[in-house]
Amino acid sequence: MSMAFSVQRTHIPGECSQIAVIGGGPTGSFFSLFALRMAKMIGREISITIFDPKDFSKDGPGGCNRCGGIISELLVQTLAVEGINLPNSVVRKGINSYTLHTDYGSVFISTPSLERTIATVYRGGGPRGIIGHEKESFDNYLLSLAIEEGAVHQPMRIDSIERKHGKPVLFSKNGHIMEADLAVGAFGVNSTAGKMFASLGFGYSEPPTVNAAIAELHMPEEVIVERFGNSIHLFLLPDRGIKFAAMIPKGSYVTLCILGRKVDAHTVQNFLNKPVVRAVLPEALGYSVACSCLPKMNIGAPKKPFTDRIVMGGDAGSTRLFKDGLGAAYIMGKSIAKTVIFEGTSREDFQKGYYPVYRGIMHDNLFGRILYTVIDQYRSFKILTRAMLKTVEIEQKRDSDDRILSTILWDMFTGNERYRNVFMKSIRPKMHIDMWEGVFRSIGRR
Amino acid sequence: MKDSELGRAFSDGDVIFREGEKGEMMYVIQSGKVKITKDTKSGEVTLATLTCGDIFGEMSLFDRMPRSATAVASGNATILSIDKKKLFTTISRDPTMVFKVLETMSRRIRLLDEELSRLKKTKEHLLRSCCDVEETCKMILQEARNTISAENGSVMFREDDNTLSIKAAYGSKSTQLMRLKVGEGIAGDVLSTGRSEMLNNVSTDGRYKKGSTKIISMLCAPLKCDNTVFGVINMSNTSERLFVLEDLRMLNSLAVYASIAIKNALNYAQLRVAADDVLKQAILVT
Repeated sequence: MSMAFSVQRTHIPGECSQIAVIGGGPTGSFFSLFALRMAKMIGREISITIFDPKDFSKDGPGGCNRCGGIISELLVQTLAVEGINLPNSVVRKGINSYTLHTDYGSVFISTPSLERTIATVYRGGGPRGIIGHEKESFDNYLLSLAIEEGAVHQPMRIDSIERKHGKPVLFSKNGHIMEADLAVGAFGVNSTAGKMFASLGFGYSEPPTVNAAIAELHMPEEVIVERFGNSIHLFLLPDRGIKFAAMIPKGSYVTLCILGRKVDAHTVQNFLNKPVVRAVLPEALGYSVACSCLPKMNIGAPKKPFTDRIVMGGDAGSTRLFKDGLGAAYIMGKSIAKTVIFEGTSREDFQKGYYPVYRGIMHDNLFGRILYTVIDQYRSFKILTRAMLKTVEIEQKRDSDDRILSTILWDMFTGNERYRNVFMKSIRPKMHIDMWEGVFRSIGRR
Repeated sequence: MKDSELGRAFSDGDVIFREGEKGEMMYVIQSGKVKITKDTKSGEVTLATLTCGDIFGEMSLFDRMPRSATAVASGNATILSIDKKKLFTTISRDPTMVFKVLETMSRRIRLLDEELSRLKKTKEHLLRSCCDVEETCKMILQEARNTISAENGSVMFREDDNTLSIKAAYGSKSTQLMRLKVGEGIAGDVLSTGRSEMLNNVSTDGRYKKGSTKIISMLCAPLKCDNTVFGVINMSNTSERLFVLEDLRMLNSLAVYASIAIKNALNYAQLRVAADDVLKQAILVT
């Protein structure tokens, strides 16, 4: 008899099962929160310990998780349905629109009835010396939810991991910490923990990355309210090294996030000097760059993100290309939780329960790459940029159901929709008719 | 609306959706309160008052029926809307997402079960003894007392001279002696507006008319039939005991059945007077 079809449901956590989560960011907290909720639902006892030395409530680099800090419309709504309502103390600004800037003009794309459906947050305590400390970090908020549900947070670094009798054993530089029934790798690509898991030899390798440039621009809050309102400003410029840049308003700061393949220490200043950027943010406003960094961004996915009793999620595994990393953390954290509680912790269980979700994100990113290539063409060629602006401008006067290009851009840059679905919208004949109309109108205007 | 708030702002009295409309969205309250009301023959009934974090409007999405009630902002509120299409797409990818919705719906069914069994008992009592108006009023008060913990209570009727007269009462005597005109005092105001009220700091309310006993908290619900308010039912405390929204909801539900029972009793009394007259005239003729 062939054994190929037999599914071994081993290592199912029973009572007092010890789960170690390495990384207390969104993936680790979402996993812990949902695993504990689901375990309670079916009357199973599990114990989860989250290891992260970082204090997310701290301002400055000590608490920062180096991220643009946008929670997409879809994630805000999904969390609300899950009973996780983002409190005012966590949300820095509710967003109801995007303003798209190009070298040839700008357009405003909004939600129907200007409902604020996107949240901007700080992953840590915010820029060093941030005014208004009554605000809370998003990562800290999620971690506190996981702790309320029963998880234990150990503020320590795990320095090495070994496998003994098939179980992961965790060590800090001071010695043995715990033997776990399951280890969940939920750290970011800027962490050194990836090497630790790669050294276990089950085939995991750190994902490929590119650098992003993130800067915090400080200015009076009333200037931000007047200049930005409740809109994220997006820049699609014919610059080879930069895919796109976004200015994200947050109280008395604006987070500048530049994504591309050629980002370095000069990128932020060069960007701020561009005429189109200076039109939005003239130097006369007296803003200052409070801090800046060049964090790594995951742009690929390791092929083997799990083995028996070990699983990797979030940025340590796969994430959505250039967008909605927090949405990917939710999807993967929850998927791992479902697998662990309802299936088990063996390689076969993860293959069956978690891998389809993981692979789904990988495949979806292929559509994302195609779409970004198309957008590269639109921002590189003047005639296409003008046609895009004209089409969106016309669409904004139509009913919300009849705005294909606006919806595509909204879904692309808000991370509101899977790239595959955006791609399917982009090949609709109506969209191409509208674009050609935009091309002719923009030529006519010239 | 604060800059950090999500959703859409609604002012007091703004209708979020109306009973009978097609349901395309469900909603999550981000801040403030939302009243769920339903139109009945005896007027508007508040089914529930929901607060921050509560979801509503989900029923129409799942049973594809028109909205079963009207949702109105009670004070300033911010509400996040969730599109049906997007919700079902997400649920199809991750069915565990509805666990929380199911939990909410189960809790509501449980509450409704409890309320229904209490109201069934009340209804049976009321409908059984609807021959005498004062007896009916006494029994309504007894039922209210069994359900809501309050030190004083009264049932008041609108008289022809536009004053309120007490038909039944318990508790402090002074609260029973006061005679109010329509629009005067809290009960008089409820009689003219037809809207029930819960006050947990009565003395600061400009409408409050002081008697010899100081009232701290008060519930007042209108008694109405065919949209005509003919009386009120009051519950009050002289101690520091406060009322909760659940008390107001119960008194509102009770007031609906009480109105029917009182109207029946009044009709019966009128019918009896008319029958007596006919009998008297028949005797005179013979």
